[in-house]
Amino acid sequence: MRLSALACISISLAAAGAKAGAIAPEPTRVAALQMEASLAKKPDVYLLLDPERRVLEIKARGAVLDTVPLAGIEVISQQPIMGRRLPSHPPIPAIWTVEQGAGDSDREIIAPTKLVPEPKNDDDDTEDEPTTSAGPTPTPTPTPVTPSSYRSRLDNGWDLWVTDELPPQTRWQTLLAAVRDGWRRLHGRAQNHIPAITLAMTDADAQRIHHLLCTGMPILVADEM
Amino acid sequence: MSAETIVAPHDEFAQSRRSRWPLALALLVAALLLVTAGAAAVLARLGRPFIASPFNATPSVGVASDNPAYLTKLASQAVREIEKVHPKGTYIVVDSYRNQLHLIQDGKVIRSAVCSTGTGQVLRDPRNGKEWVFDTPMGERVVERKVTHPVWAKPDWAFIEDGYLPPKDSSERFDNESLGNYALYIGDGYIIHGTLFQSLLGRRVTHGCVRLGDADLEFVYHHAPIGTRVYLY
Repeated sequence: MRLSALACISISLAAAGAKAGAIAPEPTRVAALQMEASLAKKPDVYLLLDPERRVLEIKARGAVLDTVPLAGIEVISQQPIMGRRLPSHPPIPAIWTVEQGAGDSDREIIAPTKLVPEPKNDDDDTEDEPTTSAGPTPTPTPTPVTPSSYRSRLDNGWDLWVTDELPPQTRWQTLLAAVRDGWRRLHGRAQNHIPAITLAMTDADAQRIHHLLCTGMPILVADEM
Repeated sequence: MSAETIVAPHDEFAQSRRSRWPLALALLVAALLLVTAGAAAVLARLGRPFIASPFNATPSVGVASDNPAYLTKLASQAVREIEKVHPKGTYIVVDSYRNQLHLIQDGKVIRSAVCSTGTGQVLRDPRNGKEWVFDTPMGERVVERKVTHPVWAKPDWAFIEDGYLPPKDSSERFDNESLGNYALYIGDGYIIHGTLFQSLLGRRVTHGCVRLGDADLEFVYHHAPIGTRVYLY
């Protein structure tokens, strides 16, 4: 957690209050505040995506718990290189909810095949070593590698793509990508992705928010909250 | 007639063939390039590469009113609602990815500690297929009670995980060592407690509880009263 973020928890609220009190706020800003109030009423964690400031904030009860800086926010869609028709963007402010999250999958399952009675050892006189005493058994399994690029499905029909690397966009690279994709389509191996709102961030940040993008996680998308 | 001027007819033919080689090679390369470019053009027409366009961050949806007084009233009301639930005083924040716990008092971090949180693993009971997910919960919780020298009543999963049948005699479930010297209960069986396995602090090794080292646990125990809010993410 960034300590500065903690110290600034109240600042955004104060600023919001000041903005609300000074001149009449824009209808869009009022809508955003109402949406945040509806999320802050619940005890759950929610995310705030602020495209203007290029940050993703982890929040609860209106407080910023942590901040993830974004390198970019793009809409990425699969298009032919000639005759593109870019998708219309979803309106904001809005609350998007993760319908199928990247953080839901890839769990390690422990499944003993059979259970036996625990052996009794109350008749021996030897002292138990701490590591053999009863209690929560440590499970020092190697930490699974968390991906730094993954997609989650949103309830508005879009995908949220978290990535540490945006697809290259120079003409030459786009042409090469088109040829590669054409080759895959020719061999029936093409993948069709629905348009995605793409958040570019460092691989470390992408990994640490992976578990937050689970089913039901609300994401408030609003400017300058 | 000198030897140099005598050219046999078959030598003349070989010489003329040699002089055409570069041209033939150039034509072949040009043809190959043409075919490759044509094939690439066809494939490129067929392909659907990823195209990025900047996200339109212009707000477009608002409250259906243009009355300034009404808008101000609605905005103030929303801000008040947020302020009402906003964390105040002393509270705890747990970052379960980085395995860090922060104790905050009046907006200042008064203690940061390395902790251990849930593995995220799933345990399945072979007898009936019942599953337990070892996640540290997310969201707001409250310190419901605090205990010194806590005794752990081991739940079924603690036995099943080791391949043992849960005992029928409840006295076999009690363990007065594993939780350390202090425990802060935050609901649904989740506890902030100590550990016998200090070397595993900083790793995701628990069944959902938050484990702390001895000194940090003692500090948190003494500075977080009952009712302290805990934010886990």
